[in-house]
Amino acid sequence: MLSNLGNILLFINVFLSVLIIYFASQNIKTSGNSISETIYQTTLLQTTLIFGCFFTLVAAFITSDFSLINVFENSHTSKPLLYKISGSWGNHEGSLMLWVIILTIFSFFFLINNKTHPKNYRLFTLIFQNIIILGFLSFILFNSNPFTLISPAPKEGLGLNPILQDPALAIHPPLLYIGFVGSSIYFSAAMASLITNYSEKFFAKSIKNWVLISWVFQTLGILVGSIWAYYELGWGGFWFWDPVENASLLPWFAMTALFHSLIVLEKRNVLYFWVIILCLLTFVLSVTGTFLVRSGILNSVHTFANDPNRGIYMLSFLCLMIFSSLFLLFKKYRKNNYNINFNSKETYVLINNWFMLFYLLTVLIGTLYPIFTDALTENKISVGPPFYNTVIIPVVVIFLFFMAIGPNVKWIKNKFDNLISLIIIFILALIINFIIVYFFKSFTILSNLIIISSLFLIISSLIDLKKSLEKSKFDLARIISHLSFGFLILFIGLNHNFSLEEDFNMKVGDTKSFNNYEIKFKKLEVKNFKNYKSLIGDLEIKDKKMSQIKTLNPEIRIYESPSTLTYEAAIKTNIIKDYYLTMSNIDRSDFYNIKFQKKPMMFWIWVSCMVLAIGGFLRVFQNAKSN
Amino acid sequence: MKIIIFYFIIFLNLSSSYAAKKNIDQNQIYKNLRCLVCQGQSISDSNSDFAQTIKLVVKDLIKQGKSEKQIYTFMADKYGDWIVYKPQLNKQNFILWVLPYVILLGGGLVIFSIIRKKRKKF
Repeated sequence: MLSNLGNILLFINVFLSVLIIYFASQNIKTSGNSISETIYQTTLLQTTLIFGCFFTLVAAFITSDFSLINVFENSHTSKPLLYKISGSWGNHEGSLMLWVIILTIFSFFFLINNKTHPKNYRLFTLIFQNIIILGFLSFILFNSNPFTLISPAPKEGLGLNPILQDPALAIHPPLLYIGFVGSSIYFSAAMASLITNYSEKFFAKSIKNWVLISWVFQTLGILVGSIWAYYELGWGGFWFWDPVENASLLPWFAMTALFHSLIVLEKRNVLYFWVIILCLLTFVLSVTGTFLVRSGILNSVHTFANDPNRGIYMLSFLCLMIFSSLFLLFKKYRKNNYNINFNSKETYVLINNWFMLFYLLTVLIGTLYPIFTDALTENKISVGPPFYNTVIIPVVVIFLFFMAIGPNVKWIKNKFDNLISLIIIFILALIINFIIVYFFKSFTILSNLIIISSLFLIISSLIDLKKSLEKSKFDLARIISHLSFGFLILFIGLNHNFSLEEDFNMKVGDTKSFNNYEIKFKKLEVKNFKNYKSLIGDLEIKDKKMSQIKTLNPEIRIYESPSTLTYEAAIKTNIIKDYYLTMSNIDRSDFYNIKFQKKPMMFWIWVSCMVLAIGGFLRVFQNAKSN
Repeated sequence: MKIIIFYFIIFLNLSSSYAAKKNIDQNQIYKNLRCLVCQGQSISDSNSDFAQTIKLVVKDLIKQGKSEKQIYTFMADKYGDWIVYKPQLNKQNFILWVLPYVILLGGGLVIFSIIRKKRKKF
């Protein structure tokens, strides 16, 4: 029953998209500057029905309707309600539903929120957006339909992978998708702007909040994903430069470059074509990322079950998008005058874009290179953290200095009148760095440079904050985001530098000593839970210097459906550091491998990333207010 | 601009000297080796038998007095390049290592040329 309802709703949505494209193209021909009521009504209906379609799928998951293959493969009656719901988007087919919903919502709100802009620009945006919606709807219908039936209907489902049954991972896909898919609206807007020659600064005004919103959600999505990876995957890290992580980072770089250059387009009316390129690039990268992940070309922790047809469909869609956008771009491209001074805010925004594109392309090359070597020489190589760290981190150091200086430079033409204060800030950063190094006694040249440059950014942002509070002229959004980015890099640097890691093979009753710590394996318990059995270790960690004792309980969980072993890390968080303990069994012995890690500043890494996103939100509110 | 390039070259040197640390950290080596039987995990993070074996082999190689680089080469020869997370700088991977820097310099030149065009006018 639910299957039929879902399929019918999908077909109606296809029909509505075609109808909207038709109405919109009719409306373009008419004179006057108003969009017909029919179009508003149809888009409203479209949005409502796609929600209906999505809730049909969620309902099938909640009621455990195993006549749907998708529910059968990804759910189980004994699963808690939250994970039944999140299970509906935790798989390939369901996540495509989420794609289409976000495409549709953004399309609807863009239409009703930009009433001051020319009619044809809005209509063309609507048309392009609906072409994308159609593309994904037909992908769902013909290749990845979540409503496909299985007969006879099984009594019980296969269950969701236990490591995916987690609150952070329940909200991770929706957050990330608002970022990823949200970028579609400025792809469509950019195409519409090219066609209708709407190249004024008002174009920048119409899309800037959409860019910021998608950026904020992208940031939050990446953050939640990292937090999940940190406590769930049990390796004690939060970023592995895994292809899928990279796929989420690529559009983030493009978005960051984009909203910085939008400021220039709005203020100075230059860089129009560059902004267009970035708009197009962001969504193309989002789809590319999805393609790489879903087609199974790249080997990663996140890989879903693969199907070559999927890859071919997405690749054709991607090519179509790239070629049509490139075609339009070349057709409409005209040489324009940049009129930018060497020492001006415009230059600094360009520098931001320069670095962002460097990060973007480096990550892209690193992600794609193994595919090429594999295809050309049949030699599989791995490009992992050491590559990215050696290539990117030294460049970040220079970037942070520009990031600190840039915001205070004036538009059009600037004079270096704050050189002395910059030197003072630099010396201050040096002093603090040496205090840190003196007390903790462990350093490399590169980590010193990272600490100095991030401190430079932090101190100058703090000074800006003080100044703007005095003048009561608030540029709070920028200051908050730049400041927290400085802190983010500082904490990552400190974390990387002062982490401690030791592993031992221990039996119950053993005690091991290392550095300033003593670790004691007190006992081991077996407990039964609703859908798994658990081996719980009881370990004591003693900090000899502070004479503090902490108890940690790492677990090994044995799941039945599907049958898997998972290792749950025990984490004790406090303000300055985390203790991170994992336990794993060693076959055919009473010994357990106990891995202890001390991870300083973890809490602050999350907080700074959170505040970074809050800065973006603030800007959205400021913009909305000033409109 | 020249200053930036100058700094850049210095940082390049620094980062390479950073890589050449004297004492060998075995955890560091574990992190840079891929667990071949897992999905996207390093030897350090994996609980598999394969990872345990490789750990023992690495410990053995360190005892024999092999340098970090020699250990990676040993592993790559035995299990293929897929096992090392840091691709070796050789003919095949030359583009991978050099292209990012070419892009960085290229981007700088583009910005420089935009700004210079404007200057000539006046």
